Amino acid sequence: MSLEYAVRLTEMLLGFAFVLQSIEHFKSQNNERWLFILRLPLSLSLLIGFQTSWAVFLLLGLALATLHRFQGPYNGGSDRMGLLILCCLCVVHIAPSDRWQEIAFGYLALQLVLSYFMSGWVKIANADWRSGRALCDVFQFSTYPVSESLRKLADYPWLMFCLSWYVMLFELLFPISLVSIDSLIVMLAITAIFHFSNACLFGLNRFFWVWIAAYPSIIWFQQRIFA
Amino acid sequence: MLHTLKLLLPALFPSWRFFDVIAPSPRIQYALFDSGSERITEWQEFRPRPVKVSPLKMLKRMVWNSAWNESLYLVSCAERLIEFPTRHSENEILTRIATELSKVGVDSQNANGKSLQFRLMTIRRVEGRLEQEVVFYSRKDVLMPGMHE
Repeated sequence: MSLEYAVRLTEMLLGFAFVLQSIEHFKSQNNERWLFILRLPLSLSLLIGFQTSWAVFLLLGLALATLHRFQGPYNGGSDRMGLLILCCLCVVHIAPSDRWQEIAFGYLALQLVLSYFMSGWVKIANADWRSGRALCDVFQFSTYPVSESLRKLADYPWLMFCLSWYVMLFELLFPISLVSIDSLIVMLAITAIFHFSNACLFGLNRFFWVWIAAYPSIIWFQQRIFA
Repeated sequence: MLHTLKLLLPALFPSWRFFDVIAPSPRIQYALFDSGSERITEWQEFRPRPVKVSPLKMLKRMVWNSAWNESLYLVSCAERLIEFPTRHSENEILTRIATELSKVGVDSQNANGKSLQFRLMTIRRVEGRLEQEVVFYSRKDVLMPGMHE
């Protein structure tokens, strides 16, 4: 995958994620709604590939205004990943040479790897995660499960134990999947299913779309470094 | 401006420590008060989750999840309030509860001088048992949708 193609794919996927996010705010309070009404045409512009250089910089400006409005990210990690992708795209667009473009896009790929590896690392270092207790707690009393019926899954400690280890192992093994494009594609399918499950069970739909928007960077990176 | 740039830094250099520890989980509860500051409703959980969500609805929420994402934002505000109270977080929660109440008919016309207060309760596991604790009471504010825009 060429750098140009990977960047374009990232712009399309991020544009799509931002369109979905923007529309969700149209019925909100006035001063908040305007930020997202402005964001929608810029996101569409990114999606269809019209004036993308302008679009990424204006979207970054709006993202800063949104950070100020909410005094932080609206939806934690997913907003942060969206911002990171946006910043990397901005650097790609103003980079004076191909090499700097590659460094900026490579940084995004590196952060994607770290997003899985570090999440796995901090979990496996915690005894509650290793025993499955932490995932029980997530289902039993955290704010995330989308329905009361899902809380009953905490009554199956063996299921929580197996799921905990499944999540920790694929997160920790993510960097190893870079050895070949086939193993990377398999791993990306696993992580996409993981994000899809989180979206269904915990309502974290924004994570799914934003993380997928960063996938072209890691596919490009694998081919650039290992192919 | 400098403060906003500071907020940007964790996005540029993320720590990616998702769910490293399962912290006490906040719940937002609210009550209405009459003009004499007497509580006239029980403390009620704001947007209690449904008993069940169908697979079809879960799929729909992949592309439209407005209310839930707003609830997640309010959880962030609640966590910020517990950690480091700010007027911004308090206003955000008060405004959004008032707006929600206006949707179910408690608007400025029939509010009649009623005021709104919320409290934050945390739930955590202590030696195998779940414990609840009220950790924050907001100020009482006259009920009016969009009051802190």
